[in-house]
Amino acid sequence: MSEFLLTQIINYGAPILGLIVFIGAIGAPLPGTLIVVAVGAFCRQGFLSWPITGLVAFICVVLGDGLSYSMGYYARESILRRFSASTQWTQAEKSFQNWGGMSVFLTRFLITGIAVPVNLLAGTGSFPFKRFMIYDVLGEAIWIFGYGGLGYLFGTQWEVVSDFISNFGGLMLGLVVLVAGFLLARRWLRPNSARTDDTT
Amino acid sequence: MTASRQRALIISLIIIGMVIVGFFGLRTLHAFREFRGHRPPPPFAPDAAQVETDVDLIRDWMTISYISRTYHVPSKILFDALGIPSRGNEEKSLAQLNEKYSPKTPGIIVEVVKATILANQPPLPPVTAIPPQP
Repeated sequence: MSEFLLTQIINYGAPILGLIVFIGAIGAPLPGTLIVVAVGAFCRQGFLSWPITGLVAFICVVLGDGLSYSMGYYARESILRRFSASTQWTQAEKSFQNWGGMSVFLTRFLITGIAVPVNLLAGTGSFPFKRFMIYDVLGEAIWIFGYGGLGYLFGTQWEVVSDFISNFGGLMLGLVVLVAGFLLARRWLRPNSARTDDTT
Repeated sequence: MTASRQRALIISLIIIGMVIVGFFGLRTLHAFREFRGHRPPPPFAPDAAQVETDVDLIRDWMTISYISRTYHVPSKILFDALGIPSRGNEEKSLAQLNEKYSPKTPGIIVEVVKATILANQPPLPPVTAIPPQP
């Protein structure tokens, strides 16, 4: 898949890149980070203009994030009907209000594997759209211009950078899952914790 | 959620997390070693210094036009060496060209392109020593 996309970017430039990052932002499993780093290298080689390409990619990815937030927002009614009575849902919503901004920011460029679920959660949990957008724009700016800049810096050796960033992102995702597991375990093992036997 | 399901969820999260951390941890370490071994080319080098010479960086997703521009070898030379017309093939990747013209010998197009570049790349300007500062 990534090879096919790279060929298309060489041939058609910024519009196809915009489409790729937009579709990726609404949930399609596309190798966005690899593409962004490669595009930085293509800009250095003079195949693409970096200000136009960067701007197109940035606008498209932010629009895609906004759309996936909206999908969560409009699915809210049916989700609330099912889960709103549960204490877990209330707790999750409360903790997202506290940590949501940082989650949105970090999942734009560091733990990109869970960016779309975070967008949907933000929309569903009524995380304020304005705040979502502020963190989203900051994070995506790092993703597009920071990672693209690394690709630009390394030129034809961009694969080394992309390989490192992709694997590091996977490592971060693993750590998030592990920490979530340990936090839940700590809560579950706490003597006074209510080991819920309810059927919510 | 029942207590047994909670326990199963926690154990699953920890096991999956450990597997992901182990897998990507090793890959990250390997990628970091590779990364450290590379130095980026000088950012504002003149055009001649930015000509790529390492043919091992050629991949089968690249097109002939892209390779021609990266390695400063005219695309006509590359198409002639491959014995295929340039018309209608400029936007095709090497993999697609291989599939179309040599489906029985996978990878042959990449190898021919590499050899053609090595034989036809213009010589790089000589490296001049920087004079010592007084």
